[in-house]
Amino acid sequence: MIPVYSLGLLGAFASAGIAFYALMRETDGLHRLLLTDLVEVVTLAFIALLGTDLAEALILPGLVVGVSELIALSEIFRIKEGYTRPPADTLQIEVMNTAPPILAALLVIYGIILSGFSGGAVAGLGVIFYFLSRDPGERFELIETASGYSWVLWIIAFFIFMVFPQHWFFAVMLAGSAILVKVMAKMSLIGTMRGDPDA
Amino acid sequence: MIEPTLILGLLILVIGVLSVAFVRPKTYIARLINLEIPAWGLLLIMLTYGEALALLTFIAVTAIGTFVIVRLMEWRDASC
Repeated sequence: MIPVYSLGLLGAFASAGIAFYALMRETDGLHRLLLTDLVEVVTLAFIALLGTDLAEALILPGLVVGVSELIALSEIFRIKEGYTRPPADTLQIEVMNTAPPILAALLVIYGIILSGFSGGAVAGLGVIFYFLSRDPGERFELIETASGYSWVLWIIAFFIFMVFPQHWFFAVMLAGSAILVKVMAKMSLIGTMRGDPDA
Repeated sequence: MIEPTLILGLLILVIGVLSVAFVRPKTYIARLINLEIPAWGLLLIMLTYGEALALLTFIAVTAIGTFVIVRLMEWRDASC
């Protein structure tokens, strides 16, 4: 009987070998970018095979670094290859004209009920979808202001935890709602990426 | 006893990597769509060990990554 971990490692090593071989043979820039994404998936499988909380703790920052690297590389690639003319007509999807208000409202309300980090993620998803489908306009200042104030509330909540521990419930509520707004504001910025040329 | 989820995940991972590495027809969009297959395998591996937070974050990050690459393709089509 082969142990589980060895079997998993064998599969992951085989996949990594194939992925790196393909990356080595590829010459086109955008194809290489896509293959870098593939290598990221495969190498995350190595960590996931550990199957402990440590694996989870290692995967989360890896993913965040991975996506920021992808965004940076795609921008560099775009400038380097001289793709400077903005796309004239983007995808026309019927659902994106009719559904946004309802879906966004449902997701935001559900996110507020959940509250905290996961609530912020759910509500943020709703706002992303809304901004993706509709023209966002220039509301960045408003979003950034809300994000800044919620950050302050979050810090205040932590001070309440340390200085007045008997008011812990108030602090939990404060921190929960503040992080909700914070995560939502940050995620909604992604939704505006599609709009103007410099976004 | 090896869990069937893990076996399935590893199989899909290897199959997916093969399908992305040797993609036919060799277009960007085909490769991007095929990228979902190894991601699915990785999700099954994470599911085996109950890494819920990593799983959810991976889904969100994949969505953002797809969005970034599709945006790059749109710019490319407009300029070429």
